[in-house]
Amino acid sequence: MANQKVNAVIVGAGAGGGVVAKELSTNGMSVVLIEQGDWISYDEHTNDELLSQRVTVLGNSCGPDDKHHSRVNIHPDGSKHIVLPSEGDFNNISACVGSGTVTYGALAWRYMREDFKMKSTYGHVSGSTLEDWPITYDDLEPYYEKAEWEIGVAGDDSLNPFAPPRKKLQPMPPFTHNKEATLLKEAASKLGFHPFSIPMLRNSVPYGGRPACYRMRTCIGFPCPVSAKCGTHNTVIPVAIKSGNCELRTNCIVSEIIVNEQGKITGVSYYDQNNKKQTQHADIVILSAAAIETARLLLNSKSKFFPNGIGNENDWVGRNLQGHAYPNAHGLFEDDIFDDFGPGSSVAICDFNHHNPGIIGGGYLSNSFICMPYRFTNVRPPSEKLWGKSHKEFQRKNFKKVAEIHGPYQEIPSFDQRVQVDPVVKDFWGIPAARLSGKTHEEDIKGCTFMAEKASLWLKEAGAIQTWSSLGIANGVSAGQHQAGTCRMGNDPKTSVTDKFGRVHSTPNLFVADGSLHVTNGGFNPALTIMALGFWVGGYIASEWNKGNRFK
Amino acid sequence: MNKKTLLHKSLLVLSVIILFFLIGFGSFYSYWNSAPASKTCASCHEIENSVNILAQSTHRTLTCKECHGTALSNGLHSLNEKSMMVFNHAKNENTEDIRLNEPQMLEVMNNCTRCHKIEQSKWLSGGHSAKYKDIFLNEKHNKTEQLNFDCLRCHGMFADVDIDELVEPLDIKGPWKFKDSAVANNPTIPCLACHQIHNEGSPYKSPEYSNPQDIFYKRKHSVSNVSYYNRHDKTKIMAENLPTLKLWENERQVKVSDDILMRNCIQCHAPNGKHQAGTSDDRTPRGVHEGLSCMACHDVHSNDARQSCIKCHPAISHCKLDVKTMNTSFADPKSPNNIHWVACTNCHKDAKTLKK
Amino acid sequence: MNNQNKFSRRQFLQVTGVGVGGICLLANCGNSISIWRFFSNTEAKLMDAIADQIIPPDDWPGGSESGVTNFIDKQLVGPYVRFQQDYRKGLLAIHDSCNDIYNKQFEELDWNEQTAFLEKMEAGKMHGNIWSNGFDKTFFSLCRDHAMQAYYGSSRHGGNRNNKSYQMLELDYPLIIGQNRYKS
Repeated sequence: MANQKVNAVIVGAGAGGGVVAKELSTNGMSVVLIEQGDWISYDEHTNDELLSQRVTVLGNSCGPDDKHHSRVNIHPDGSKHIVLPSEGDFNNISACVGSGTVTYGALAWRYMREDFKMKSTYGHVSGSTLEDWPITYDDLEPYYEKAEWEIGVAGDDSLNPFAPPRKKLQPMPPFTHNKEATLLKEAASKLGFHPFSIPMLRNSVPYGGRPACYRMRTCIGFPCPVSAKCGTHNTVIPVAIKSGNCELRTNCIVSEIIVNEQGKITGVSYYDQNNKKQTQHADIVILSAAAIETARLLLNSKSKFFPNGIGNENDWVGRNLQGHAYPNAHGLFEDDIFDDFGPGSSVAICDFNHHNPGIIGGGYLSNSFICMPYRFTNVRPPSEKLWGKSHKEFQRKNFKKVAEIHGPYQEIPSFDQRVQVDPVVKDFWGIPAARLSGKTHEEDIKGCTFMAEKASLWLKEAGAIQTWSSLGIANGVSAGQHQAGTCRMGNDPKTSVTDKFGRVHSTPNLFVADGSLHVTNGGFNPALTIMALGFWVGGYIASEWNKGNRFK
Repeated sequence: MNKKTLLHKSLLVLSVIILFFLIGFGSFYSYWNSAPASKTCASCHEIENSVNILAQSTHRTLTCKECHGTALSNGLHSLNEKSMMVFNHAKNENTEDIRLNEPQMLEVMNNCTRCHKIEQSKWLSGGHSAKYKDIFLNEKHNKTEQLNFDCLRCHGMFADVDIDELVEPLDIKGPWKFKDSAVANNPTIPCLACHQIHNEGSPYKSPEYSNPQDIFYKRKHSVSNVSYYNRHDKTKIMAENLPTLKLWENERQVKVSDDILMRNCIQCHAPNGKHQAGTSDDRTPRGVHEGLSCMACHDVHSNDARQSCIKCHPAISHCKLDVKTMNTSFADPKSPNNIHWVACTNCHKDAKTLKK
Repeated sequence: MNNQNKFSRRQFLQVTGVGVGGICLLANCGNSISIWRFFSNTEAKLMDAIADQIIPPDDWPGGSESGVTNFIDKQLVGPYVRFQQDYRKGLLAIHDSCNDIYNKQFEELDWNEQTAFLEKMEAGKMHGNIWSNGFDKTFFSLCRDHAMQAYYGSSRHGGNRNNKSYQMLELDYPLIIGQNRYKS
């Protein structure tokens, strides 16, 4: 039985797609929201470090699984490696209802004004595709506010002098610091930095009909046992479903965007939970499958009208793939600084986000989330042995004495950091797999060195007796959970994939609403920006629809 | 005509097959339920470990079925489950993480109570015998405590489903109802929440009298059958392997009893994330009773504490007051002096005069 | 809950067909030579020795006592099925190399000899074809990572017996956090 045609089909129920589903369905449009994963049950995805989204050695607790998925990674030396989802190089985001917002660290950043104007601020950078966004911070500000209030953010920007202006406060008070963060906060102030409590998509007090955070240990890479972490799965998606206009289809893999004989996009084809091929026709198609999968889907949708994939007339789909480098430093302290009080990451400074001589962009620095025991087995000063008696002693003696400062460094986008589809490797359903390749821009090395030095400085001021640092730059492809940029928005169809509302230039009714749109990725975790873009794109479609525009 | 004979013939063949099958199955089933464990249940190496541990336990003389019932005692569920295990085993799939589901667990509990009648009746008289309906349909509770996944960690740790499959709606408005009302009368904290049956231990036996003076000293107190069922891992953790509570009263660390049994209690009767005394559900003794174990006053099964004062106190306290009529929550629930942390200064505002 | 009590026709066929077939299989299980899922008894013994080198026993259990071998064995028939050949080949290579160099089994070497042997593997300095293409290094790092996962990861995967490593780190497990805001 064919599925009934709807107004909009959305691919991917994550940070972007969940928001768009809510915006459209509450505006009276009929919506089908397709998700490759399932609802997450906390019982099956608990506090197991080896089966989380951060340490995935025994698999991704919230998907995708190793049996059905694979990608191809091209290393800088040209060698090709087939990677499984449980391997780091896969650059995975959770595959479940809510996607990354179920397992993320839930840091709720607004990008700064400069982040939308990187080229104007820093000029042309050779070997890069650094560019301004077609929209400004002020365009997006009301949508950030919507995201903060509808999904829920705890924070207080008044303590961060670098925060961009806002009209309305965040809805919940900021998180208090644990022992480590308190120590680091004092040190930052002494250094003349401007420490503040990180805005979080978490309930610091009961909010949205869900309880407050009870400050446990496993807050990043794990679903929250009290649902105090705010994602699209426990906020906007339930609202969408409750509207009666949105049908959520889980365990469905979209394989292609359907183009009819007139070259018009009419829906998507997908494999349902029984691996049976289905089609879903719709007036509008919205892709929110994250930077890698959205690009892969466009590239896999080849037809006589779109021989290189949809939106790819100028070879921009899949280009400018960005994540974040994570320059970091560890500090060993004399006394215990660990008090097992979650979420862990709470004190940050934005002193190094912009306007540091010789550095393009930059990023914030903060303390890290609680480090679990297996992960800690690799946290060692360079001189320490990684096994044997001394390794075990270090683990025992210092597990509660080490702090990590890190931050997402805004990578310089380049044309060669990219997603393609592999000519040979296919997934379980026979759909060509994503193929990732790229090289690190040399500016990144400079910027990360600068940030890692600042991280060490901060730790030393806090009393660390030994520090060691790392640039945190991926060897080759950088995407990770912060993946972005592959369907850049822009005013010029020759150098971008979508217009400023996320509509693919060469089509009237195909939209993108996820991190793929990011022109540049900010020196911040991108989740709140992706949600804001969801409201921006979804809001645009809904208001046009109400005006009678059918995107034909 | 031909068709009809064919039909008759096949019916005949079929019934013979079924007959043979029933005879075969029946004789196998009766053999299975009478043969020793080593020939039956324990021949499956997935449960070998459990069986071996049982052999050293207090319950060593029991056969598997005395607690677990037979393959057919909960309908065809067990049989199906076991067949699937064999099937998966043959396919070389890992089948070793075998768990009782909630109905099976409750059935084991019924078998416990065949012998442990006293413990059962004590348990019934105390707060730990709360049923699902007592917790999850309680209006006052649900309006204050938003239902969430973590509730089941202590209330209903054996539930086969998540909270969102158990009760709806998950908000503070209600009205609440079970998705499957069959659970309503199930106990949320059954025997196996705190007890480990497959564990080392010896049955009680009369002492060795050859050197009567030694009898007292040779007596060992075993806590090996006390364990906490950790829903996260779906495994039991022996009480001695549970963490001891570290508790703070502001900056001061509170002395907490090292009684192993108490480690079980504090898994649920726990303070907040900062481990500040008296927060959340912490009832660790402080004040005049600091350092005492829960079990110093509470009976393990009934949790009754009514006869506890006289265990230590003569009828009067240090300050010459009758302990049973002192103004504490022990005698009066409305008293401001909670028995768990009442201090001398609660009643004697001028502490200096006390020192005399 | 409901589903568990319903018994479909498909399930009935599973019971009867599979159950009867399975009973025949049971007889075979008792005869299996190895007590492990993937390892042979010899391999497991060697693995125990390696595990103790990677995480030596002291006041707290060593790798073997903590169940490192059990963890790896269990994962090798699960998510680590892709490493089966590495272990088969690697453990044999260690066995053979020890025979060549010391004329002994790895387990029979004294403690410092064992350490030196593994350090040589870690540094990629083993000789012989079987170790070519850096297999000494990669196999050592595989064993090292898996041993750490076993010892410091969740006990549900077959290692970290009795959560001893969490106790060693003075990390509460299970976490002690209550959330009672409701006081009657």
